[in-house]
Amino acid sequence: MSDGGPTGPVEDAGSGPVAAGADVFFVDGEVGRDLAVVDWAATPLGPPEGWPQSLRTAVSILLSSRFSMWMAWGPELTFFCNAAYRRDTLGRKYPWALGRPAHEVWAEIWDDIGPRIGTVLTTGEATWDEALLLFLERSGYPEESYHTFSYSPLRDDAGAVVGMLCVVSEETERVIGERRMATLRDLGSDPSVVRTEQEMLAFAGRQLGGNLRDLPFTLVYLFGDEGSARLAAATGIGAGHPAAPATVPVDDAGGVWPAAALARGESALVALDGAPFTGLPAGGWPEPPAHALVVPLLQQGSAPYGFLVAALNRYRPLDEGYRGFIELAAGHVAAGIASARSYQAQQRRAEELAELDRAKTAFFSNISHEFRTPLTLIMGPVDELRGRLGAADPQVREELEVIRRNGLRLGKLVNTLLDFSRIEAGRMRARYEPVDLAAVTAELASVFRSAIEKAGLDFTVDCVPLPEPVYVDRSMWEKVVFNLLSNALKFTFDGSIRVRVGVEDDHAVVMVADTGIGVPAQEIPRLFERFHRIEKARSRSNEGSGIGLALVRELVGLHGGTIGAASAEGRGTTFTVRLPFGHAHLPSDALIAGDATATVPATADPFLHEALRWLPSDSRDDGAAPPASEEVGHGTGEETAGGLPGRGMPARVLVADDNADMREYLTRLLRGAGHEVTAVEDGQAALEAARADAPDLVVSDVMMPRLDGLQLVAALREDPRTASVPVLLLSARAGQEASIEGLEAGADDYLVKPFSAAELLARVRANVELARLRNHHARWRTALVESLQEAFFVCDEQGAVVEINAAFTEILGFDAEGLPYAPIHPWWPDAEDDPEAHRLVAEAFAGVVSEERGIYTVPVTHRDGHRMWISVAFNQVQDLDTGQRATVGTFRDVTAEHYAIQRETAVAALSLRLSQAASLDQALTGALEEVRALWRAGRALAVVFPGAGGAPVVTATGGDVAWEALTEQHRAALAGLREGPSLAPATNAAGTAAGVGLEHPHGPMVLWLDLDGHRPFTGQDQTLLSLLAGHLAQGLVRAHQIDQQRETAIALQRSILGPADLPEGFAVRYEPAARPLEVGGDWYDTVPLQDGRIGIVVGDCVGRGLQAATVMGQLRSACRALLLQDPQPDQVLTALDHFAAGVPGAMCTTVFCGILDPQTGHLAYSSAGHPPGIVVYPDGALHLLEGGRSAPLAVRPGSARPYAGHVLPARATLLLYTDGLVERRRRPLTEGIGMAGEAVQEGRDTGIDVLASQVMTRLAPAGGYDDDVALLLYRHPAPLEMTFPAEATQLAPVRRALRSWLTKCDLPPQMVQNVLVAAGEACANAIEHGHRDAPGDVVYMRAEALVDRMRLTITDSGRWKTPEPEANAHRGRGFALMRAMMQHVTVTPGPDGTTVDMQTRIA
Amino acid sequence: MTTPLTLTPARRADGTPVLNAAGEIDMSNSADLASAVTSALGDSGGPLIVDLTEVEYLDSAGLSILLSYADRIEVIATPLLGPVLTICGLTDLTTVRGLDPADPADPAS
Repeated sequence: MSDGGPTGPVEDAGSGPVAAGADVFFVDGEVGRDLAVVDWAATPLGPPEGWPQSLRTAVSILLSSRFSMWMAWGPELTFFCNAAYRRDTLGRKYPWALGRPAHEVWAEIWDDIGPRIGTVLTTGEATWDEALLLFLERSGYPEESYHTFSYSPLRDDAGAVVGMLCVVSEETERVIGERRMATLRDLGSDPSVVRTEQEMLAFAGRQLGGNLRDLPFTLVYLFGDEGSARLAAATGIGAGHPAAPATVPVDDAGGVWPAAALARGESALVALDGAPFTGLPAGGWPEPPAHALVVPLLQQGSAPYGFLVAALNRYRPLDEGYRGFIELAAGHVAAGIASARSYQAQQRRAEELAELDRAKTAFFSNISHEFRTPLTLIMGPVDELRGRLGAADPQVREELEVIRRNGLRLGKLVNTLLDFSRIEAGRMRARYEPVDLAAVTAELASVFRSAIEKAGLDFTVDCVPLPEPVYVDRSMWEKVVFNLLSNALKFTFDGSIRVRVGVEDDHAVVMVADTGIGVPAQEIPRLFERFHRIEKARSRSNEGSGIGLALVRELVGLHGGTIGAASAEGRGTTFTVRLPFGHAHLPSDALIAGDATATVPATADPFLHEALRWLPSDSRDDGAAPPASEEVGHGTGEETAGGLPGRGMPARVLVADDNADMREYLTRLLRGAGHEVTAVEDGQAALEAARADAPDLVVSDVMMPRLDGLQLVAALREDPRTASVPVLLLSARAGQEASIEGLEAGADDYLVKPFSAAELLARVRANVELARLRNHHARWRTALVESLQEAFFVCDEQGAVVEINAAFTEILGFDAEGLPYAPIHPWWPDAEDDPEAHRLVAEAFAGVVSEERGIYTVPVTHRDGHRMWISVAFNQVQDLDTGQRATVGTFRDVTAEHYAIQRETAVAALSLRLSQAASLDQALTGALEEVRALWRAGRALAVVFPGAGGAPVVTATGGDVAWEALTEQHRAALAGLREGPSLAPATNAAGTAAGVGLEHPHGPMVLWLDLDGHRPFTGQDQTLLSLLAGHLAQGLVRAHQIDQQRETAIALQRSILGPADLPEGFAVRYEPAARPLEVGGDWYDTVPLQDGRIGIVVGDCVGRGLQAATVMGQLRSACRALLLQDPQPDQVLTALDHFAAGVPGAMCTTVFCGILDPQTGHLAYSSAGHPPGIVVYPDGALHLLEGGRSAPLAVRPGSARPYAGHVLPARATLLLYTDGLVERRRRPLTEGIGMAGEAVQEGRDTGIDVLASQVMTRLAPAGGYDDDVALLLYRHPAPLEMTFPAEATQLAPVRRALRSWLTKCDLPPQMVQNVLVAAGEACANAIEHGHRDAPGDVVYMRAEALVDRMRLTITDSGRWKTPEPEANAHRGRGFALMRAMMQHVTVTPGPDGTTVDMQTRIA
Repeated sequence: MTTPLTLTPARRADGTPVLNAAGEIDMSNSADLASAVTSALGDSGGPLIVDLTEVEYLDSAGLSILLSYADRIEVIATPLLGPVLTICGLTDLTTVRGLDPADPADPAS
């Protein structure tokens, strides 16, 4: 139809008389009929009776083929085609095209195919084209279509080429499917990198713009606040084009795009005609698009973000697939916007947190500055005083030392904080000089040697000289070394500390290793965090701000180095600093020349003083206080020199002596020295006087009536009021023993008569001073304890608290009046209300009583009932007076810290759970479990309220429950939370439940916890729940995106794989790898061959992703064509070798290619390096198809391939698969193959399709397949399916077919007969109904052989009546026969017909 | 396509009428069987020997015919048809030979 032009033929080919010799066309009843009526005489070929045999043969091959083909013959290349070609390709050109010259039939693509046909005709060689784009006009418009085809020459009887045969398979769906998938995959190619909205749109634009065929141009509009949508991105079109205005008003109906409808979430198809649409760009096509689909960018639970204008490919219809593609693309853009906006929000939050951290440091360093001035004013005068009073009172010196030491410590802390703020502000003025790092480090380490050795630790310094100098700032490096050493000493109680300097990987390496308590693995990542301290760590001191290691890291970083820690709990910790050699990494203006004369710096002092103070006092040597007696002696000398007790305060002295002279002497003597004296005659009187008014000193004779001196001393000591009154005994008894006796009785001093006046006065004065000092000490201790910021307590041996300070009362609410507090202490959490907290305290208490020292963080209850957390540090001491063991401890309120840590831990755990989830459901169930465990809730529920009135979906820990199964009250409470603001937790009045609303991708969600009600759900808990809910909502959105991407990928891969209609008896599956989500190059295929046999292919291309999928598509098409051309498995694979050699990425593909005769079960096969197929016999035995094996594709092209044959016995099952099904790490392949065989064996009683799913599920690893899997199952023989008219004459042929099929099933003859009778009766019934109710209707019969069961189903369109033997005797008999012949007979009447299902067991 | 069935009347040496059936008997041709039995019986009261040795398939329609003539016929069959003949009760109503593989049908046929 040359005059018809490309718009296509419409005229009918007419129905002329059938030409003579037209019998050649009768092979096919459809196209043959139309070919027969062609006016052949009008063509160059002439009437069919005159055609040469070669043409007749060619036509007959063409018509009998079920594969799509056309051919051209003769001088005008007259066109023929078969039914498959008519259906797949020719479209409306049929039957017009028959008998026409080929160049007329395919006028529109003649430029493409004409030259190819010419080549075939002139050279006689076949052509091969893979997925060639052709614009066919078969549907009334030029249509984009793709075809894989081969033109091969046709020869006449003389052997000359006179025509050509085209075998073609249309691949339009595959090519377009792959193209769209590529775009969608690119759009989602990097979901982990969240960008700003602008970057995200630019990225999406690049991907959308990469597919100008499906998307000639696109526009993204985003709704703003001002009632209009603004153009945010465009592809394929200039921004200035009238079709792409910068803004589109939402309310104005006259806008270029229907923004109002889109704002409501509706899509719109817009015809691109009229003014704004002239001169549109054409995208990847010759003509501009004619329509555009505008779809909303949907936002979960809210109005759309905006909309996407997608111009449509005018060469494809807007079918479901196309629409779906555009909606998925819009979905990606919307998800990207959502993600970018949420990222921005997170970013803002992170910045705020960082700002907070900076503010904290700034705050501390500001105060530190404020501290410096007073510190200077303290330290200066103290040093001055130390110099001036160096020779003076040791007591003063001692106290000055205390002031100085603590001043140094405070100064060190202040300096560290200032270092931090300098580093942070970039104001740290470093001076890097080249040093011998080994020598410098060894020197610094030596400063610590004495302290470490005093602590009883070994100290090894192993610093070999380095090959070249390292640039360090000396003062910074000192801080690094001192901090590391002081840290090591603090946490090491025995063993050693080692410092090593060496070279590793061109870096100087400094290691400080200890054998201390170590760091728990989970703490290591936070070790260098500022203000982070490890809870409960045993250390020499509870001092420390948690800032030293953070500073070390900053300082090492300034040197271009790194620091790491390795630790094993209980075994020690090793810090490793790595510094680069040279100075290329340092700013050149900060370099100075080396200074060889380094000295140990002043900064060592604070470190050393601090470290030394951690050590037990008996190993101290720095300014330890001299014994008090020396001081007294010293004072005596002074007094002797000065003659008067210059410093001595007058004392009240009680004198007891039965000798009146002595009494008077003593009185006179003491009064003369300024003391106030009371004199009594004996011990009893002295005791009474002392009890009435305790004196400063008792001077008593030993030998007295009534109560002697020793008894007096004992009595005084027994009475608390007088226990501390010093007693000076006077005795005439000389000798060591006497004095010891006195002192043992508790006397403070002993003077043997005779004594000089000076000696007595000196002793009196000394004892008075000493007592005063003792009182002073006691007062000082009280003041010190009271002034502590931390709570202080003393426990006796039984654990009763016997002393507390003001801070204790302030923190816990319990005051000193309640002392002693016996265990169980009133601040313990109640054992019934909160058994867990009670247990924690009980454990800690056991430690306090039994251990020497330790730190515990425990929950306690304040006197007013509120819960708090305290961190307790304690030490056991020996009470010198009583000899009893006591425990002294302090604690501080760490409630806020505890909850902060708890929150961070909970958020981290939840985030981990969410990040591990591979699907939305997993994310939700995992999160619920986490939340439930956190609160030890009885149960955690999540209820999602889907939109549009769907039933709420409940997910629960410990098994899901239905919404209806919840109590009405519960449902109302949940609904109430849903209505309320999201992320606002609420609890019920009884405190037995808490809930919070949040957004789930499927709709509003409520998270609900069933609490035990014992423990209050505090404000802290609410904050935490709200925080977790927020994280959960974000995690769910992420999981939802993963779900969507996965579904898209699988849908597209499956659409490429096909085939849509499998031959009977087969089942196939494809599953992409679970993580990372990727389709791959596995495929399966079944190819029905002309002779009724079936080609079976399972293959596996190397690699993953689009590349592998593309290679797979090509190999699959080629393999199909080769099977049709020459159905021999070895030949197919040999030919495929050649093909694969020319396709990049196809090498090493493994393929199993088989040809099955479904009649006999014979399978001829050849394997190109593919894992062996498995045949499972009815008795469960396995057979591996291990014959016919050779190398994978294209490894040895040209070499012949072997093949093998195997006969599948009746009811055997064949399993073919790719290695993803059976291959696992650290497991032999044979084991996986065995497991696959077992799975098939165990499913031998199930239908083939159910079995396929069972095998996939059973072999899947816990986390899903990590490689993609293709699987193909066939059970022999395939089920028999027949449909026949409800007529009695059909019974015999149906019976014959069934008998033949039953024979294939390998059943005993009597069973065949029984099944035939039962089927015959059921069919006869169906026919009778058909006649009665709907004459001419059809009956459907299906017979399926499972391994040990036979199943027959007969369905008709009538209704069965209950058998009525008297009305129709032989029908009733028929029913009885069916029941007798088969084991189960079920009759299911329905409105449209009756189904009889019969089963019998195969023995 | 009708079900293949050949019905051939004959007589034994002793004059007993015999109806030899070969093929398959179902709903579509049971009427043929009925008329063949009627004509073979003629006016006699029987017995007529119906020889089903060559019958490969017999369903309830065929059985109904045999049952309705049960008092005037005897049946020779094969073990293959045993179950249907037994279940429908024919073996209780008349003599059926040849069902036991160990006891072959009357050699007189």
